[in-house]
Amino acid sequence: MSGDRQESGVGGAKVARRRTLPSAVGEPMVWLTGSALVLCLLMIVTLATLVVVNGLRTFWPGDIDRVTLESGEVVMGIRTAEDKQGRYLYRVGNRDIGQESFRWIDGDKIAQVEQPEHAVMLEREAWGVWFGMPESVSMEADDGSLVALSEGAAETLDQFALLHPDARAQRAKAESMRKRELGKINHGIEHARLRIAGAEMGVDLRENASDRLGWVSWSAVSVVVVLAGFVWWVGREVGVGIGSSGVRQGKLTRFGCALIVVFGLVGIWVGAPWRTQGVTAAERDVIVAQMEHVQEQLQAEYERVLAEIRMSEEQDSKLRLVVVEPTTDRFAPIAQTRGDEPMMLSQVVRLIPANQLSVVGKTKVFFSRWWEFLSSGPREANTEGGVYPVIVGTVLMTLLLTVFVTPLGVIAALYLREYAKQGFGTSVIRIAVNNLAGVPSIVYGVFGLGFFCYTVGRYVDTGPVAGTSLQSGVWWLMFGAAIVTAIVSFAFGLWGKPDPGSTSTIGNRVLARMSWLGWGVTVVLAVMVLWRTPYFAGFFGARAAEGSPTFGARGLLWASLTLALLTLPVVIVATEEAIAAVPNSMREGSFGCGASKWQTIRRIVLPGALPGILTGAILAMARGAGEVAPLMLVGAVKLNQDLPVSTTAPFLHADRSFMHLGFHIYDLGFQSPDSQAARPMVWTTTLLFLCIVFALNLAAILIRAKLRGRMTGAAI
Amino acid sequence: MIEAMSEKRSSTKSAVEVKAPEAPASTAPSPVVPGGMGGEPAHYDVIDAIRRGESVEPTVHESMSEADAVIQSDDFKLWYGDSQAIHGISMGVPRGAVTALIGPSGCGKSTFLRSINRMNDLVEGVRVEGGITLNGSPVYEPTVDVIELRKRLGMVFQKPNPFPMSIFENVVYPLRIDGERRKSVLQEACERSLKSAALWDEVKDRLKESALGLSGGQQQRLCIARAVVADPEVLLLDEPCSALDPVATIRIEELISEISERYTVLIVTHNMQQAARVSDYTAFMYLGRLVEYGPTGDIFQNPKLIETAHYVSGRFG
Ligand SMILES: Nc1ncnc2c1ncn2[C@@H]1O[C@H](COP(=O)(O)OP(=O)(O)OP(=O)(O)O)[C@@H](O)[C@H]1O
Ligand SMILES: [Mg+2]
Repeated sequence: MSGDRQESGVGGAKVARRRTLPSAVGEPMVWLTGSALVLCLLMIVTLATLVVVNGLRTFWPGDIDRVTLESGEVVMGIRTAEDKQGRYLYRVGNRDIGQESFRWIDGDKIAQVEQPEHAVMLEREAWGVWFGMPESVSMEADDGSLVALSEGAAETLDQFALLHPDARAQRAKAESMRKRELGKINHGIEHARLRIAGAEMGVDLRENASDRLGWVSWSAVSVVVVLAGFVWWVGREVGVGIGSSGVRQGKLTRFGCALIVVFGLVGIWVGAPWRTQGVTAAERDVIVAQMEHVQEQLQAEYERVLAEIRMSEEQDSKLRLVVVEPTTDRFAPIAQTRGDEPMMLSQVVRLIPANQLSVVGKTKVFFSRWWEFLSSGPREANTEGGVYPVIVGTVLMTLLLTVFVTPLGVIAALYLREYAKQGFGTSVIRIAVNNLAGVPSIVYGVFGLGFFCYTVGRYVDTGPVAGTSLQSGVWWLMFGAAIVTAIVSFAFGLWGKPDPGSTSTIGNRVLARMSWLGWGVTVVLAVMVLWRTPYFAGFFGARAAEGSPTFGARGLLWASLTLALLTLPVVIVATEEAIAAVPNSMREGSFGCGASKWQTIRRIVLPGALPGILTGAILAMARGAGEVAPLMLVGAVKLNQDLPVSTTAPFLHADRSFMHLGFHIYDLGFQSPDSQAARPMVWTTTLLFLCIVFALNLAAILIRAKLRGRMTGAAI
Repeated sequence: MIEAMSEKRSSTKSAVEVKAPEAPASTAPSPVVPGGMGGEPAHYDVIDAIRRGESVEPTVHESMSEADAVIQSDDFKLWYGDSQAIHGISMGVPRGAVTALIGPSGCGKSTFLRSINRMNDLVEGVRVEGGITLNGSPVYEPTVDVIELRKRLGMVFQKPNPFPMSIFENVVYPLRIDGERRKSVLQEACERSLKSAALWDEVKDRLKESALGLSGGQQQRLCIARAVVADPEVLLLDEPCSALDPVATIRIEELISEISERYTVLIVTHNMQQAARVSDYTAFMYLGRLVEYGPTGDIFQNPKLIETAHYVSGRFG
């Protein structure tokens, strides 16, 4: 064949044909590249499927088996798995009578399996689930004996359904009273105690420490809000210049920002956290007497509320539920140590008669469990209940970190791309920034703990480290020096600029270098002046002295800042690329219209780069939300039911530690006392985490798509 | 003075118009060449001197010295780093007229144009010597506010560069950056300048739509509207038609003629017919030097240098 071809030359002459290599036949690379892609997709799909299937299975109520073994032993539970040797894994619960909550049962040894119609699974407030047969609902009589209100399983279930909602409501009320009202009273007593303690040290702490915290955080919030408002404003008024109805909105936003700043300043002024007033002996006695009176009153109030709660709880404890398990014939006890008393009705979170339920009924249970999971706090070392505080903590931290990192990164990138003279310096900075992205995240955690929590935080709490503050004369000298160097550097900077139309001379260059040096010195001096001031003793000294630091410990603020630092390179790189992609002809057109550099940046460059900037912010958000290692050092905790947001004083409690889904998963899987029982929850929490990160990303992507649509114009 | 100006202008215009019917747009008006017209390779004294790097006195027609100059450059030189792009140009741009800059590619036309509104400041390593004045005020002085200066000049670039905003926002951009926020003022200005850019009828119903959705010719007219919205003293056009098709080009040319009734225009072009059609005065540049400068009619029909005659008839360059 090929010989024929070679012969067929023009005019009979032999033409040497180029041969086709076997490797070029049939495009083998298509197969190679294609299968690599398929492999990647397969892995991702497998991951997603695994998480989704396992995550969804957790809350589906399975049938309850009553297994009779050949030895005569009877076991009740839900079958969850099976292995190759024909063994079945049963979830048997009933931990309070001393059994493991999961149990392997040999298939050969099973004599009989049945599914009793009335078998139930109880989810309780403590000690996990309980499997058994309902026997009766009883009422405790005055003499302490139990009077049955129902007989038989069916009637008991009906009776339970009737009484359970009220019992739960009552219990919830008592609990919230315990938390809210007693909390408020305790707060007041603490306030009085602090003022007495302060007075005895010779200081009038007119506001207590937590109020000061309130004011200071409030001011911090205002800063955050202003930054966020700024981003929004830039995004809307400038970025979405099409439509141009934004003038009034822009004014409104500016007005709002100004208002918030004023609020913040007033807050600081009113709170005056730096102001401490000395008291004379007479004043001290007055304060102490006043505060002791307040304490007494509050104490009485405390007793009264407590009595009320006790009453309600006593009422509550009268209704009992008897559910008997088959192995030992014991009923679910009120507490592990009081095995002879049946449990209270109100201790039951949910009763699931799984074998009775139709698919619809099971679906109902499924959703009610999901709702509990999403809307309530964790119980039992996180293995039961919900993850609401965890979601709040995760979302809040992610938002905060985005708010911190985006303006910072964008401004840095703007300088690097638009203002800085491109050269050796900027290249070095770029390489450094890129390398920063490769630093292991735990390193940031260590840095955050050491720098933010223990250095900056402690400074906020107690001011300069004892003994390091300067003499006031020296301090003022330094302060003056800082101002002088700033002015000199500024002047040098101006002189260092070449005249228009001429290139910079050696003198220019020397002056410019000196200016940079001067700014460096100024920064060092300014830090020294702040760091060693004799005029600042911290905002939260009293509490820190008692061993409970406010900002000098792990918390939401420091965690967000640490992660902001971690994700900074992502934003800088993305923004730089986006800015570079704005065509130069746009800038020239703007300059040609007489726009200044900043106007050009604000009206042409930033809007053009906005989709890219948002991409950077999204990537930063995704990276930050998924990071766990540094959080373990700077703020995430196993359990903190106090949300970092609340309706009281500073609203955003940036000093509080918080719960985080990533850390929660780790904790569930590896730190919980009953890790097998926690395993389904690990899957579900993972699914939730995946969904949240996905939702955050999706939201940002949608915003970006919308912006991009407006930028390129619908008319095309 | 003004009457004298307009009279002179009309006379130059008519000189071109007389020629126009004989020489349709497809061929350049054939110049009356002094000296040899033969096929032998011409010998260019001036051009060769410039090529050798010698400094040559430009040939400026006498009538130019009478004109009242808006822009006056005085032995202006410019370097990009170490390479000199402009070698001492002295010329005045007459008020209320259209002046065309012609010359082969790379001869420094754009550079000179961009020197007037100091767009070259944006280029790293640019150095200048000599001066330019705009209505008597210096352009290159340390005390000059570049922003203010650029606001006094309108500039249109070779490639249409509308901003990625609505048509309305594009037109009023120069007013916006001056802090104008009153809707009525903006709308009035937008309508006026769109009308003077002959674009109003086409876009009046879609002012809120993106400017990027316009055709190339419309975009360029939009850029002209943007350049005139703030009433500049001079309009600088850098090859405004080179990215457009012939029909759009004709429209822009008509527009320039119209606009020149109100503004002084300095236009760079590669197209000899265009220079002949729209301009009152023409300056021929070569390798960063001014070669010949005079009324358009004279330059095209009665140039003093053989180089100019050959260049405008397309025989070299
Ligand atoms: N940014 C720059 N840096 C260095 N040299 C430049 C720069 N811009 C232009 N030049 C050089 O200056 C000279 C004049 O360029 P200019 O763009 O003014 O020419 P022109 O007459 O406008 O040409 P064209 O008709 O092709 O647009 C050319 O030699 C060019 O290479
Ligand atoms: Mg050019």
